[in-house]
Amino acid sequence: MTQNAKPSVAETDWVTLLNDNARTGGQGIRPTHAPSKTRWQFRTGSSIRSAPILRNGILYVTCIAGSLHAIDVTSGRAKWKFPVAQQVHSTPSFYGDKVLFGCDDGKVYAVDCISGAKIWESSTGGEVWTSPVARSGVVFFGSADAQVYAVEAATGRGRWTQQLGGRIYSTAYAAEKQIYVGCGDGRVYSLDASSGKILWSTATGNGIDSSPAVVGDTIVIGSEDFYVYAMDANTGAVRWKYETGLGIASSPAVLSDLVVVGSKEGYLYALDIPTGQLRWKTRASDVITSPPVFGERVVCIQSGGTAAFDITTGTQVWRAGLGGAVQSVPVLAGDAIYVASLNGEVYGLE
Amino acid sequence: MDRRTFVKASCLGSAGLFLGFDPNAPGQENVTLPEPPPIEVHGLPQAKHSPLGMPGLFPGRVVELSDPKSILRNRVSQPIVGRMIEQGMKELTGESSLRGAWSRFIEPIDVVGIKINPSGAPACCSSPEIVREIIGGLQSVGVPARNIIVYDRYGYEIDVGSYQALLPPGVFVVGIQDGFVDAAGYDPNVYCEANFFGEWETRSYMASIVAHRLTKIINVPTMKDHSASGVTGCLKNLGYGTFNNVARSHRAPYSFTDPLIGVMCSIEPLRSKAVLHIMDGMRQVWHGGPLTQVQDFIYQAGTLVLGTDPVAMDTVELEVIEKKRRKEGAPSVWDRDPKSITENYDAFFHDPSKNLFYRRPGHIAAAGKLGLGVADLKQIDHRRIAA
Repeated sequence: MTQNAKPSVAETDWVTLLNDNARTGGQGIRPTHAPSKTRWQFRTGSSIRSAPILRNGILYVTCIAGSLHAIDVTSGRAKWKFPVAQQVHSTPSFYGDKVLFGCDDGKVYAVDCISGAKIWESSTGGEVWTSPVARSGVVFFGSADAQVYAVEAATGRGRWTQQLGGRIYSTAYAAEKQIYVGCGDGRVYSLDASSGKILWSTATGNGIDSSPAVVGDTIVIGSEDFYVYAMDANTGAVRWKYETGLGIASSPAVLSDLVVVGSKEGYLYALDIPTGQLRWKTRASDVITSPPVFGERVVCIQSGGTAAFDITTGTQVWRAGLGGAVQSVPVLAGDAIYVASLNGEVYGLE
Repeated sequence: MDRRTFVKASCLGSAGLFLGFDPNAPGQENVTLPEPPPIEVHGLPQAKHSPLGMPGLFPGRVVELSDPKSILRNRVSQPIVGRMIEQGMKELTGESSLRGAWSRFIEPIDVVGIKINPSGAPACCSSPEIVREIIGGLQSVGVPARNIIVYDRYGYEIDVGSYQALLPPGVFVVGIQDGFVDAAGYDPNVYCEANFFGEWETRSYMASIVAHRLTKIINVPTMKDHSASGVTGCLKNLGYGTFNNVARSHRAPYSFTDPLIGVMCSIEPLRSKAVLHIMDGMRQVWHGGPLTQVQDFIYQAGTLVLGTDPVAMDTVELEVIEKKRRKEGAPSVWDRDPKSITENYDAFFHDPSKNLFYRRPGHIAAAGKLGLGVADLKQIDHRRIAA
């Protein structure tokens, strides 16, 4: 159920958070092997607390010092760098020839992915840590000012805004007619994609930092109340909830009827989407806040290094010491894996 | 006013004796701990001393509240901690209303920093539920959200605690420092200087936000064992969270957190701006602090401690942690047995008889000697309130 707007996507591309708008994390199209050596290492110069994305052999990554870097994955060298005024925590995404990302200055920037030139910017009243999500010519994103914004992808001109009850650090999911997003007030919201009108909202027991995934008519999302929730996408009714050991900032990755999500107590949970039954859980690290991603027969997570676990059993398949961040996501690109580190290093692994 | 001062180690040393540690007691293997070097202190020249500054309006007064229902299955209850803070603020100040209590410390024109402790996140850190109540209290006296800044040193630790998502809109959440050697957020003219182990950078600088932007600070420490300082409470959260380059004060197995922690807290304008301390004892760490994620050593106590005197509060906290360690059969934080020292982090994190350093909890009494509060338990007005 890939729903990004770009008409054709090369096999190695990785276009937004968890690969695509359905948060599939690249399942089924990415052979994934244990990394054997480092092809290159790129130093951004400041901490990275977001995930890279990949298109046409160029890796795009934001860093805290306030810049978007474009890196040639063949050479590991910089193509260009786009500086902004404040810190950047937002994972970039693509729409057409644009790279989109949010900034602590309250703006979302659209930058030409080839030249690095700014195409437009759109302002909000709070920092934007979420990843902008595009669909049908419209870009959707939440801000710490408690509003969801819809702007035209071509120009950045505003379409609508919708006030919610808390800060928004959850990246929206854009379905054909509805937008789904978690909120710091502890509610999951469904908004009409064309008007921003709130269609329904459902409360959880604490604020939401996690981003929703959608499978069929089911939304899956984690909450700081320690539970993973499955909700009816049309009504918001809770179908099931599964209790983990601590809060959940990690965003779920979905594959067919399987969802995998990390909890802050360091465990990965694999749950059956129709029933909420646990298939397996495994300890991946001391702390997990980043989303897992699916590779071929494995699920990968970046937390105290980068590790892969068997998709059916949860058994660890391999672990690499690189990628010591708890806020980033590895990019699985065929025979290569790209990881960003808290210390500002980006690695191309072979 | 020239605030450049040398703090002589000799006047602060041997603080362990003051709190009852006897290195000659039976069963104690003695080691000779190195004397701390002189510490040069350079405060902000134009800083004015405030009577609200440490030890504040109520020296020696400690209000401890306990409610086992305040944390259930590791979740902090928002309504119950709200009631506990209200009760504690009234008891501390003698005011009849919560708003009146907050007004003793805060004015509408203040820019207020809430100094959290996210360093043990997610297992044990300042509870967002408590921070929300504090924000509500500040807003009740007219402080706008834009003048409330929740801060700590490292942004990535704040991220792990999800404070950004969980706090009300409009409040700023700030990580002062993004890398271990990033000095951008610090004032190069406000520092303390000492050469502990021959390190190349011998200064620790005060955060600019504390030196210049904030007018008041509400300190929200946690209650933890600390492998180098014995406990991390009010003083350590404030001192080591305000200055950079502090890890240099302890190099295994030795620590100079005593007296550095107290010295840092005495430097203006930090001393005058820290007007209230609300210690989060919902979860308490009795071994492996400050970073442990091992739940075996974290207990859900459901406690809050309020006061303006960080020395008195940390003295009470030290007793609590010591009592718990005794109950669990762990050695005292004053222990000086060389056999307890390990270089193996895994051993330290999983064996409460092991430690990386000879802990130095004497920093609390040392801070008392600097005038920051009352370190003698007999002189502390300890008010216990149970649910």
